[in-house]
Amino acid sequence: MPETYDNGTEIEVKNLNLWYGEKHALHDISIDIPKNSVTAFIGPSGCGKSTFLRCLNRMNDLIPTCKIEGQVNISNEDIYSRETDVVDLRKKVGMVFQKPNPFPMSIFDNISYGPKIHGFSKKEMPEIVEHALKSGALWEEISDRLDASALDLSGGQQQRLCIARTLAVKPEVILFDEPCSALDPISTSKIEDLILELKKDYTIVIVTHNMQQAARISDYTAFFLLGDLIEFGKTNQIFENPQKKETEDYITGRFG
Amino acid sequence: MARDIFQQNLETLKGYVIEMGKLSHEAMLGAIQVLKTQDAELAEKVFQGDEAIDDYELKIEKCSTQLIARQNPTAGDMRLIISCFKIAIDLERMSDLAVDIANVAKCMGTDHTEQDNILKMADICDEMLQQTIKSFETLDHELASSIALKDDQVDKLFYGTQTKLIELMIEDNSLINNASHLLLVLRYLERFGDHACNICESIVYMATGQRVNLN
Repeated sequence: MPETYDNGTEIEVKNLNLWYGEKHALHDISIDIPKNSVTAFIGPSGCGKSTFLRCLNRMNDLIPTCKIEGQVNISNEDIYSRETDVVDLRKKVGMVFQKPNPFPMSIFDNISYGPKIHGFSKKEMPEIVEHALKSGALWEEISDRLDASALDLSGGQQQRLCIARTLAVKPEVILFDEPCSALDPISTSKIEDLILELKKDYTIVIVTHNMQQAARISDYTAFFLLGDLIEFGKTNQIFENPQKKETEDYITGRFG
Repeated sequence: MARDIFQQNLETLKGYVIEMGKLSHEAMLGAIQVLKTQDAELAEKVFQGDEAIDDYELKIEKCSTQLIARQNPTAGDMRLIISCFKIAIDLERMSDLAVDIANVAKCMGTDHTEQDNILKMADICDEMLQQTIKSFETLDHELASSIALKDDQVDKLFYGTQTKLIELMIEDNSLINNASHLLLVLRYLERFGDHACNICESIVYMATGQRVNLN
């Protein structure tokens, strides 16, 4: 595991174990995720990468049979401590899902929804919306129809809207759970460009089944298998010279 | 299934490199023989053999670029493809050097001053190539690293013999024609050894992912 990072560590996970009922789904995961960089989680289906991603903003709290042990510190705060407000946590750690999930309302309202909840005034909204849509690389395409329904946008635009919606509440970390799996190659490329742009200001963690996507956009790659973190390192090293046979077998397509 | 096809293609690529290596070895053996005998007919055979070696270089280039374009190779697969591509370039140059040696050797006179050292160099070079092909076939990076040590002997013989030939030319003008040919052969052999080292570096990279300088 890389020891120190140029930009420092954003997420520090120590000995994380997770059970779904009797099933021990994550085994003693420890990992330091660097600030202002893209970290990709790869591995075959069911390896625990999405489950682990969801631990980083406590999305697994919503599953009644789920039990978690271990520590997750984000910006030096223990997110599983009793004092942690989960709503605040999810403001700080935003998430974008596999399938674009805009709210059934206007483009403008989609973006302003989060800031409204977090107490921003109506007067501030136009500026917040414009800034978020610009950061989400969507402003130029839709600035003349902010009142249109978000559901009328294309799949790729909807996904960028969801990213912009996440940005509107000024998170520190953005978690992407296979954000391009429902998109065509052109939309995928736009999202990838956007992720590369966003890492200047945010820490990005992305789960992807597309190994070439991980290779293209991530700075660090973690390989999961059957609930274990097998190998974590710089993406260049993982894709050129993995140290574990399981990693080599997976990324060269020998299994999975 | 797709992986099986990819694996077959990788084996084919490896096979091309091994075949090309064997042909380069034959070219070198021929060149050594011409050095000993000045046999123009044999030299002609070495020239003609070069065409098949060039064909292999092209085949390896095509196979490598297609695999890169279609398979997105990573890790050991990627290192194998990149190494084969580089090795083919070195083997092609080595075969050209064998042709150059045969070309010069066939025109040389019968006065073989310093021939022993040159033949010794040629034998070491040929052995380096043979061992290199073996280490490629078996992915034996330790063997590859040890082969490169032989290049020190080649370099030593090169500098020693070069100095002697120059001294001889100064002492006796009548030796200039032959000695200048021998100087060329010396240079070709020295370069041959360097290319063998380059191949060994590629083999170490292919096997371990480490970039080493063996020259």
